[in-house]
Parts: sequence; structure tokens; C-alpha cells
Amino acid sequence: MKRAREWVLIAVVGLAAGAAGYGYNVWRIGPAEQTRQGLADLTGARLPDLDGALQSVAQWRGKVVVVNFWATWCAPCREEIPMLVKLQQKYGAHGLQLVGIAIDRPEKVRPYAAEMGMNFPVLLASLDGIELTRRLGNKAGVLPYTVVLDRDGEIARLEVGALKEARIEALVAGLL
Amino acid sequence: MLARVVAFLFLVLWLPTHAAEPDLLEPDKAFRFSARVLGPEALEVRYQIARGYYLYRDKFQFSVQPATVELGAADLPPGELKKDEFFGEVRTYRGELRIRVPIAKASAAGGPVTLAVTSQGCADVGVCYVPHEQTARLNLAAAGAGASGSVSDAPGGLFSSPAAGSSEDDTVIAKLFHGNFALLLLSFFGFGLLLSFTPCVLPMIPILSGVIVGRGAHVTRGHAFSLSAAYVMGMAITYAIAGVLAGLSGAMLSAALQSPWVLGSFAAVFVLLAGAMFGFYELQLPAALQTRLADASNRLPGGHLTGVFAMGALSALIVGPCVAAPLAGALLYISQSRDVVLGGSALFVMALGMGVPLLVVGASAGALLPRVGPWMETVTRFFGVVLLAVAIYLVAPLVPRAVEMLAWAALLVITGIFLRAIDPLPTSARGFDRFAKGLGVIALVAGIAFLIGALAGSRDVLQPLAGLRGASSPAAAPVVFTRVNSMDELDRAISGARGRPVMLDFYADWCVSCKEMERYTFSDPQVSARMSNVVKIQADVTANAPEHQQLLKRFRLFGPPGIVFFDPEGREIQGLRVIGFQPADRFAKVLDQVLAFERVAQ
Repeated sequence: MKRAREWVLIAVVGLAAGAAGYGYNVWRIGPAEQTRQGLADLTGARLPDLDGALQSVAQWRGKVVVVNFWATWCAPCREEIPMLVKLQQKYGAHGLQLVGIAIDRPEKVRPYAAEMGMNFPVLLASLDGIELTRRLGNKAGVLPYTVVLDRDGEIARLEVGALKEARIEALVAGLL
Repeated sequence: MLARVVAFLFLVLWLPTHAAEPDLLEPDKAFRFSARVLGPEALEVRYQIARGYYLYRDKFQFSVQPATVELGAADLPPGELKKDEFFGEVRTYRGELRIRVPIAKASAAGGPVTLAVTSQGCADVGVCYVPHEQTARLNLAAAGAGASGSVSDAPGGLFSSPAAGSSEDDTVIAKLFHGNFALLLLSFFGFGLLLSFTPCVLPMIPILSGVIVGRGAHVTRGHAFSLSAAYVMGMAITYAIAGVLAGLSGAMLSAALQSPWVLGSFAAVFVLLAGAMFGFYELQLPAALQTRLADASNRLPGGHLTGVFAMGALSALIVGPCVAAPLAGALLYISQSRDVVLGGSALFVMALGMGVPLLVVGASAGALLPRVGPWMETVTRFFGVVLLAVAIYLVAPLVPRAVEMLAWAALLVITGIFLRAIDPLPTSARGFDRFAKGLGVIALVAGIAFLIGALAGSRDVLQPLAGLRGASSPAAAPVVFTRVNSMDELDRAISGARGRPVMLDFYADWCVSCKEMERYTFSDPQVSARMSNVVKIQADVTANAPEHQQLLKRFRLFGPPGIVFFDPEGREIQGLRVIGFQPADRFAKVLDQVLAFERVAQ
């Protein structure tokens, strides 16, 4: 009797935990439709580059695109810039395109990009730029935030916070 | 077994669909923001920064709308020095952060403003938040309208004490007081002056006039004034001693003075005194003692003054319970500062304030006070009635309302009869007799109104006949409080009120002002309409159990009365405490501020 009751309890708690976990993930990731819309917003957004010309991420369709949201005022972002430069150097010829979107002011970004020898386009966005990431799962609106798109323009990975060099390299190499 | 299965299920089902990523708080939760009005010249911005998160000191921006209000340079605390690989040495904040923002220019009318603060912070896991703007709506007081945007009880408002109480706050409060010693004494003097308009001081007038008139016809104005000065001094020094005691002990004094026994016995004393006024008997010391006292005072230079001084001290004790409720705030304030000198001097000047009308009476000895004669008799009778009224006033909160109304009815009717309300006046009656009869008729009618009202079931002292208006107006439903008895219950009640402000009322059966609040303030339609928008919690600490003491201690109260408010986030709204009785219009204003305290999410 006691044993039976225990199992009923396990089943109930398990179901509840399952429902909660599922709900949590739905809430966190958002329905597919929302992600799709978010992706369209991101690739379609026309943002100025460092020369003031409007660019959109969509132009690199067909390549493996790594979109990195960053800012000069964000220490963890600055930490991974050299790694991104290296990545572009290594795989650029094989069809990798890194794109930086800086939530920052151009007069801060320009000297920094020059200093770091950034070898990939940097687009500028105001504070609202962070909104582009929210529908892609960056609920808290933090930097750095990285979106990896495969050659078909589909989301291959969403990464909050600093990238692990080995992991991103393996991922990119696999997609190329 | 059970635990393991559940743990497994959690692990499996909660695994994020995408690669594991840090569980990041949304910025409003990582950096919980609130703001309040500190006073006419400053605002305070407060952040509760979650563990593992920090804010940069040099990234703050403050702005306020409308533009008629201008802010000064924010007073940013130094913060922690952090060596950053990229930025060099930066200063950051963790945990609790309070920033004082001076108001450089405010519009004279005061009113609502929107404060917007932009901050930027990061989490230790290695992400940063974009600059984040948070706003709060605040109410600025009109220029010269009072101490701060927060309407509070006179002395209570001066010591809006912090909630959970870190030692840091104590020093802040202490500093505040030391800086404004003169100002503080001035406000206590003003407070005393206000108290002198309560019926509590009235019984002192016949005592004092008795003293002065008792000197006989040869009292000079100067002599009368020095007599009343001595009397007021006696009273003031008694209060000063009470202040010192409060400073030393921590003021359960006012609570003790409000117990039904004390109130009841003092009401009895007043009835006795009234009896003497009506000439039913003469109150005096035994003859032997009296002569010895007279001898002693005659031998001493200024001996009369000593006696009068002692009278003053005694009267202070007698009217003590009457002013205890308004005094509660003052005593509490003093006991919080734990400053004996301050306590003594504050209550001393307060008593001087209370004594001003007495000094006026004394100074005008020849003019205002009647000489011995039939006039004198009328005046003592009048004061007899006043004493009885004070007695009723004292016990009113302790007895059922019907009893209170019947007591008023009895007093008024009997007074009316004594004023010959129903005796026929001779045609040759003097003007004064006619005037007295007029008063008597008024008293009689009012008394009958009370009597009829009470018997008809009306329980409203101010509108005894309201119940007879036919369609009985719907009686204001009594305010329903959720009772809490311990810290746990309180925390649960507060967290259960998510999204609504919370009002926590400390109550005890013996607490006179609590009952007055219930009777006159909470029942007011204006107030109850506003109260319906807050979650009402009451802690009944009559039993004074250890849990009750803990609760009081948490809010640094020594006893009821005390009303504490919490914002929709469950944090205490600083500076809005209500200590002691507050009339409906003022309490409604406080509630408006509480309701305006919603944080406007971005």
C-alpha cells in the first residue's frame, strides 16, 4: 500500500516536473515562429558600417555567418575579439564570414577596430540593436551574444556570453 | 528512491534545448531598482544587486521629467576597486547601493516627477548588460509644505527608520540629528504648541488659575507671570525626565501609559477633580501637612514658587496619559536616537511649547482670570465639565461606542439642566442668564441627540442621528486585515501580495491611537477606497509574545501604533511610516503616496 502510494507520488511529481521543464523551454526558446521572425529581423536589418554605408547580414547568405554582438565597453566582449580575428583569418577563405554588430558609438569602435586589426565588417547599432537578439533567445539582453548561421541561412547555434575557442572552431569547421 | 527519481526527471527535462548557457537574470531582476524622496532637497536611488552581478560606477545617468525640476550631481559612493584587464582600475558596486541625488531646482508646487536612471552592469559569468534605463514615479512636496515628499506624523516623520536595519543606517540617522539640533528643538517646540490645543492641556488651566487666584487680590501681573513660569517649568522638567528615561530605556513608556488601567484610573482622577470643581467636596491635603508645607514655603525665599513648581510637575504626570498617544511618536524618536541630552532637551522644549497658553493666562492675570466672586464659581463649574469631558475622551477608545455616546449624552443633558435650560427665566433676567440658558438649551438638545442616536443604534459620535435618515446609509464595512503573528507569516503575506503595495498595521488592544485610527480614519470613505487597493496586514501584538517582539524589532518599533508600507516589490517604503493617530485626510495623502510608489517597468 505504502509502496503504491510512493509510485503515484513519483508519477505526479514527475509529470509536474516534466510539464514545468517543457513549459520553461517553450518560454525560454520561444515558439519556432518567433525565432523565425527574429532571424528575419536580424538578417534584414540595415545597419551602418564604420564608413557609414548601410549593410545587412543577408548579403552573406551562402556562407557560414557568425554574427557577434559586442561593445567596446563590455570587457568579456573585448576578450574574445582576438579569437574572432584569428577565426576569420583561418577560415575566411573557406567560406566563413564573421560580422560584428557593435552596440556602441562609432568614435569608440573605429580606433578599437583598427587597434585590434579587425578583419571582418563591423556594423553599428544603437541600444535598440540588442532587441535584434531578444527574439533569438537573449532574454536578458546581454553581451556578448553570438548567432551562427549555416550556409542555408538557418540558425546553427545561439551563444550567450563568451565563446569557447575550441567549441566554436569545431562548430564552424563542421558547417563549412 | 523517490528523491533520486525526481532529481533524474528534473535533470533530463530541464536540460535546455540549446547548449547549456548561464541562467541570466533579466536586468530588472539583476539590478532591482527603487527610488524615494528623501526630502525637499534630495532623492534617493536604491539598487539591490543580485549576487554575482555588479554595476559600474562611472556609467550612471540620471534624468528627471518634467524639465522644471533639475537634479544636481549624484552623490555616488566610492564602490569597490576592480582591476580590469582592459579598462584598468574601475569602480563597481555589488549588493546594496544607495545613491543620493540632490534636487538642484524644483518647481514650487511640487507634484509628481518621473526619475529615469540609466545604469550599466555585468555578471561574473562573463556577460554584460546594455545600458539599462529604469524609471520611478515620485511625488515631490510643495515648497515649504513640510519636511519631505513623504507625509508623516509630525515627529514620526523625522525618523523614518530603515527596515532591516544595518548599522550604517543608524549613523546616518544620528548624523541627521546632530546636524539639526536647533531645528529639531524648534520642531519639538512647535509640536508642544500643537499639543496645547488638545483638550489634554485644559485641565491644567483651572489648576494654574486656582494657584494664581488663590494668592488673593493682591497678585501683581509680574508675580502671576512668575508663578505660571514656575508651574510650566515644573511641567517641562518632568517631561525632560521622561525624555531622558526614553533615551535610556527605549520607550515602552508610552505603551505603558496607554494601558486601560492607567487610562481608566486617570479618567477616575479627572472625575474626582471635576467633583471638586462642582463643589461637592473640597480636595485638599490634610490640615497638618498643609500647615507644615505652608510654613516651609514661607520660610524659604521664593517658597511659593517651589510649591507651584511641584504642582506643575504633578500636573504633567496627571495629563501624561492624555498626551501619551501623540507623545508616542516623540518618545519613539528619542529612543531611536538613544541620545539622552537630545531626549531631555527635546521633551523640555516640547513642554515649554505646551506651556505657552498657560504663560499667557499667567501674564494676563489681571485681565483674563476672574477675581473671586460669582464669576469664579461659574468658571470652576465650566472646568468641571471640561474635566469630565476629558475623562470621557480618555476612556472613549476603551469602551463600546454606545457607552461613549451615552456618556456624552449624560454630560450634555446634565450640563444643560444645570444651565437652567428648562427653568423658566424671570422677565427681569440679566443678559448673562439668558446667554447661559441659550448654551444650556444647546447642550440639552445635543445631549438628547446623542441619547436618541445611541438608542437608535447609531455609532457615530460626529453624526449621532445619521441612522435616522430613513434609508440607512450603508455603513462602511469594517476594514478586514490579514492577521500575522510571526516573521514567517509576515513574509509570506508580503510575498503573496506581489504587484500590490502592502500596509502592515501594528495593533494592540491597549493601543488607544490604534483604535482611534480604526474608528475615525480607516472608516472614512476616502481612506477605505484607497485602502482597497493595498494588501492589508495587521500584527496584533497585544499578547507581546516573543514572535511579536521580533516583529516589532524588525521594524525598530517599540510597540504599536505603527503602520509600515511596502512597495509592490515587497520592500519597505522608506519615510512613509505612520506613527500615532493620523486623521483621515492626512492618511489618505499617505496612501496616495504609497499607491504612487509603483515602479514603472521599462
